[in-house]
Amino acid sequence: MKDHDLFSGGISRRTMLLATGAAAGASLLPSFAFAEDQPPLGTWPAGSSGDSVSIGVAVPRTGTYAVQGEDELKGWELAVEHMNTGHDLMKQFVPSLTKGLLGKEVKLLVADSAAKPNDAVQAEQRFIADNKIVLMTGSTSSAVAVALNHLADREKVLYLAGISGSNDTTGKDCVRYGFRQNFFGQTAAAAIGPVLVKAFGKNRKAAFMTPDYTYGHTVTKSVNDYLTQNAGWTQVTDQVSPLGTQDFSQYLTNIANSGAEFLINVNWGRDAVLSTQQAKQFGLLPTMNLVIPYQIPFLSKEVGADVMEGVYAATDFWWTQEDQYPLAKMFVEAFFKKYGYRPEWGAENSYVSFAHWARVVTEAGTFYPPDVIKTWEKGETMPSLLGDVHYRPEDHQCVRPVVIVRGKKPSDMKNDEDFWEVLEVVPGEGLMQAPDAFGCQLGSYT
Amino acid sequence: MVNWANFLSQMFNGLVLGALLALISSGLTIIYGTLGVLNLAHGAMFMLGGYAGYVAFSYTGSFPLAVVVGTLFVMLVGVLMERGIIRYFYNRPAEDQILVTFGLGIVFVEAVRFFFGSLSKSVPPPPGLVGITNLGFMVYPTYRLALFGIVAVALLVLYLVLYRTKLGMIVRAGIEDPVMVGSLGINVYRVFMLVFGIGAAAAGFAGIVNAPVVSLAPDVGEPILVQTFVVVVIGGVGSFPGAVLGGLIAGEIISITSMFNPGYAYVMLFVAMTLVLVLRPYGLLGSASRE
Amino acid sequence: MLRHHPFLVELLTLVGLVLAPFVLGWIGASPDTVNRVLVWGLFGIGFDILFGFTGLLSFGQSAFFGTGGFFAAYILTRLGFPSVVLALVLGMVVAAVVGYLIGLIALRRTGIYFAMITVAIAEVFYFVEFNPLAEWTGGENGLPGVPTPHFHLGSLDLDFSTGWSLYQFFAVCYFIGIVVALRIVRSPVGAIFRAIRENPLRASAVGHNIHGYKLTAFVVAAAYAGFAGGMLGVLQAFMPPDAFTFGTSGQLVMQAAIGGTGTLFGPLLGAAVWLFLQDFLQSSTGLGAAWKLVLGIIFVVLVCGLRRGLIGGLDDLWGLLTGCKAKRAAAAAQAAAAPPAAAVPVATTPAAVAATPRAPAPQEPAGIILEASGLSKRYGGIVANSDIDFSVRQGELRGIIGPNGAGKSTFFKMLTCEVKPSSGKIVFDGRDITGMAVADVCQLGLTKSYQINQLFNRLTVRENLTIAALAALRGRFRLDLFRSLKRIPGLTEQVDHTLELVNLTQRPDTPVAELAYGEKRRLEVGLALATRPSLLLLDEPLAGMSPTERAETVQLLKSIGQGRTLVVIDHDMDSLFELAGQVTVLQEGKVLVEGTPEQIKSNTLVQDAYLGGVHGTLAHA
Repeated sequence: MKDHDLFSGGISRRTMLLATGAAAGASLLPSFAFAEDQPPLGTWPAGSSGDSVSIGVAVPRTGTYAVQGEDELKGWELAVEHMNTGHDLMKQFVPSLTKGLLGKEVKLLVADSAAKPNDAVQAEQRFIADNKIVLMTGSTSSAVAVALNHLADREKVLYLAGISGSNDTTGKDCVRYGFRQNFFGQTAAAAIGPVLVKAFGKNRKAAFMTPDYTYGHTVTKSVNDYLTQNAGWTQVTDQVSPLGTQDFSQYLTNIANSGAEFLINVNWGRDAVLSTQQAKQFGLLPTMNLVIPYQIPFLSKEVGADVMEGVYAATDFWWTQEDQYPLAKMFVEAFFKKYGYRPEWGAENSYVSFAHWARVVTEAGTFYPPDVIKTWEKGETMPSLLGDVHYRPEDHQCVRPVVIVRGKKPSDMKNDEDFWEVLEVVPGEGLMQAPDAFGCQLGSYT
Repeated sequence: MVNWANFLSQMFNGLVLGALLALISSGLTIIYGTLGVLNLAHGAMFMLGGYAGYVAFSYTGSFPLAVVVGTLFVMLVGVLMERGIIRYFYNRPAEDQILVTFGLGIVFVEAVRFFFGSLSKSVPPPPGLVGITNLGFMVYPTYRLALFGIVAVALLVLYLVLYRTKLGMIVRAGIEDPVMVGSLGINVYRVFMLVFGIGAAAAGFAGIVNAPVVSLAPDVGEPILVQTFVVVVIGGVGSFPGAVLGGLIAGEIISITSMFNPGYAYVMLFVAMTLVLVLRPYGLLGSASRE
Repeated sequence: MLRHHPFLVELLTLVGLVLAPFVLGWIGASPDTVNRVLVWGLFGIGFDILFGFTGLLSFGQSAFFGTGGFFAAYILTRLGFPSVVLALVLGMVVAAVVGYLIGLIALRRTGIYFAMITVAIAEVFYFVEFNPLAEWTGGENGLPGVPTPHFHLGSLDLDFSTGWSLYQFFAVCYFIGIVVALRIVRSPVGAIFRAIRENPLRASAVGHNIHGYKLTAFVVAAAYAGFAGGMLGVLQAFMPPDAFTFGTSGQLVMQAAIGGTGTLFGPLLGAAVWLFLQDFLQSSTGLGAAWKLVLGIIFVVLVCGLRRGLIGGLDDLWGLLTGCKAKRAAAAAQAAAAPPAAAVPVATTPAAVAATPRAPAPQEPAGIILEASGLSKRYGGIVANSDIDFSVRQGELRGIIGPNGAGKSTFFKMLTCEVKPSSGKIVFDGRDITGMAVADVCQLGLTKSYQINQLFNRLTVRENLTIAALAALRGRFRLDLFRSLKRIPGLTEQVDHTLELVNLTQRPDTPVAELAYGEKRRLEVGLALATRPSLLLLDEPLAGMSPTERAETVQLLKSIGQGRTLVVIDHDMDSLFELAGQVTVLQEGKVLVEGTPEQIKSNTLVQDAYLGGVHGTLAHA
């Protein structure tokens, strides 16, 4: 009793001192509440000490990737809504889900990144400082994903990649605090290659259209390596165009004169829409077979079903898979009901990656990032919309199937969004490179 | 990759691209030459023409009507912009004019995004011009061939307006010597309004006739604006023939360079601009009267 | 007010920066946003020197922002360079060097042309970063992993990692930036920057190498941009490729415009408003993608409504509230009415001799100071001057008359080398000056006053004369960026003498725009005089004056003429004949006749040609 009085006297004096330095005091006090083996880390515990937790989204709403960004955003919104209401679909991922996550309401904060890494980092930094977010997400291009990966690692706040096709995201730019659910250049190439060889045989000639940045070059290399090494195809030309090209006539002219039989278009976003439309104008399509190794959400809608007929593509998800997969059916129905169209794979990736995070957090029983990461790294099997998947502890990449689709004839379409016919669902296991093949070295937990 | 047929094809690509750039640049350059206003919303005007035409097309299904509506709409926007805002800036520093048009450009782009969304819109070419045409040494999209003709006609019309009408005489006189025109007792402000309208209409027209080639998106005008600057600098500010020559040169540089290394096409364009500046500071066909 | 407290601005800035974390932290601003405002603010200081002070609107600052940022980020992340501060400085140096090279090209043109060229150049940098240099810059992925600064000072270990601790480092950088910038704008170079903004033609005519000074402003702006670029990398631990985009330049220009230019602090204020609006519109309004539309509209309204940005608007508001403007206007009106009474006595005092020309009056009055031979000028098919032979002796006061279109002004322009003659030769003070630059000719001691006033309109009378006097005292180009104007020996004296000489001692602190016409004409002559010319050409100094003003000005010119050589063009023959010892008559671009006023008056050729046969008029005069 005496001792206690003595101490409390000391503490009260110290508290008075702290009170004068308002900001310092505020940040120090909560840390006393938790055990010494978990000192404050990133936004923990400040971000999860109230009755709600926040997630920061930086997604393009203006600029060239705004179409894909808005679709992704809807996926996250739906996932958060399902977490807070305890929706049946979310319960498939998190069986013990009631309402909210670990008893806390989940809030989504949204900023426009315009697909620019700088704007994305700026927005997330603000969310971290002001709102103490426990998770961040958003990207329609790997440049943003890579930037946010590194921000996550520095700020010790988890990051889930949005659309990001580059091998680097879980390769040389991988981080301890970043996870990716969706497919990427390497798995796309490994999945679509055999299908092409099976359909068209060996020793064919292909022209590539590559956007001039790292993502483009890695995808082109992955696809080309597979086709040349396994089936003796030749790359007759590789037309590299700058990001944001509007007139592709020069590149298409070169391709027209190259003698190619296949046009493998690696462009993304609006570049893909324009290059494909113009390839049609130049009569390259349907003379040549178009291959889209990394499917772009809304490409068919923008380009038109007539152009996309017979086109081969690899993708993460296509809504007609609802016929085979019950979870996919639940998702498409819920999404369609809320937004009035069928989700593209950007929305699917958003939803599923959030659901996976919710599952892991629930299982870990805490938002403390190292515990969440370690639980995730157990690599346990968990559901996705397309059957069971798991994450690799070595590079935080989800091992998940890649869907190969072919453009339907317009007359075969059952509704105005029935663009693709699913040819094959290639299991993820065989598509993945060795975990260290792309130079991944995860950082420290703290 | 360098063979005769390919080279000819690329020359032709350059010609089509160049003609289009020439038309858009003419609009920019006559506005600047006459009013002394550098319209940074010019790229947005190009975009607006496309969207106005798209709306007309979706209601009527007629491409010629879309072209007319697109052009007239942008002309109207130009006139309103001049009457409503720009004219209050004639007595303010040139920098303020640049800033306000820059801001208006953003407003136009984002307004279109607000009403039409970001999903791209396409306008198909008119029925007779679909498909490809075999020219012997190459096959070429029929509409692009036609586009060259359409743009050439538009340039001719612009030429006739500038060189065969009273308005055109005043405009050219104004480019030569702005002070003199003011002292001639001509209603300068009416001329300014018309010129702004015509300049904007040139961009709007280009926007809608280009829509079947490059589908519409709110940001479609942004890269065009920078290329137009280069064209105007190469050709000479305020010079209509300069804009035409500059446009064709720019188109050819982009096309020919992409035959060898597409990544350098735009770098080469800017290198060419630098060369012109060093050798002929006022542009190929420019004069020192306007700065 | 600021003149009385030389370091007041610095002090206030320091106080503001020290208080900011407490005040802003208290109202809930996030340190990251504040740090970002500082980065843009520092970037903007350089831009304001370039645009607000020198009048060069560049849309290409992203090129230097990116160059400095990527250089610093590269050596820090890839080469393991140990010192963050030193890396930032090196980035700044590299950006400045690149700025110098780019400036050589871009500054070949001015105005809107310059703006367009900078846009194009910045685009090249973006392509180059993305493509050929991707191996070094990381292409679209940029350079992640930029470290934050930390110092070991003996036992002290200072680590500026994030939030308010990084703020301390940034605040120091900003403070140094603003102190340096204030020194620059208060230096002679800063004064010449303003002169170039107001009237580049005249800045050059009074003897400044304006190309050199423009290039200086451009390099200074590039250096600030380079340093700020490095800070961006430090702030985010990541150097983004978007630093190079047109959007970066555009945002800088818009922030400067919103805040107000010509104050150095405008960009900081603009950045604060911009970033706040961006956050607010996105997070608190539910506008979704339309936030940018609203921001665009706000920007357009601000540009339309506020001519000098928010700072200018606040200034106007302050003036309105205190009635300060009205008082000053009233005082100006009073002062404008006063001088004519004082004019005659002052002008006739011998004080005029005090500002001696740089080449002292010669001992032998017969020496020839200027000789032009066979001077011709053709514009296309039109001949403005043909084959003019003309010479002026030292100490002479020469008049030139001729009907409109006789080519008098063109002739003067050729003599001062503003216009290059098509053929012929000009020898001044024994030196062939044909084809020299106008600034060099002025430096040799030959300058002119203009027929149409060429003043520095938004500056005061004293500032106007200071700019001209600086050319005489410092030569055509000198990089005394950090020297105070007060430390230039002889400057105050020379400006005061010139004020006396042109009878403007009552109005030294009046802005030119508020001067009466007659005063402007006197200042016009004063600008030329302040360069201490040994030969002064006056192009219609009496134009547009009332008879009383003319009489006064003639007295003024007489007193100026003591110890100087003058050549005066005018239409007012009465005045000219009263002034000049020798008169040259030009007609149709040629010398018609030359002689004393009496000879000219009685010359029949002159009477026929010049007066169109109205004989007798001159005789009566």
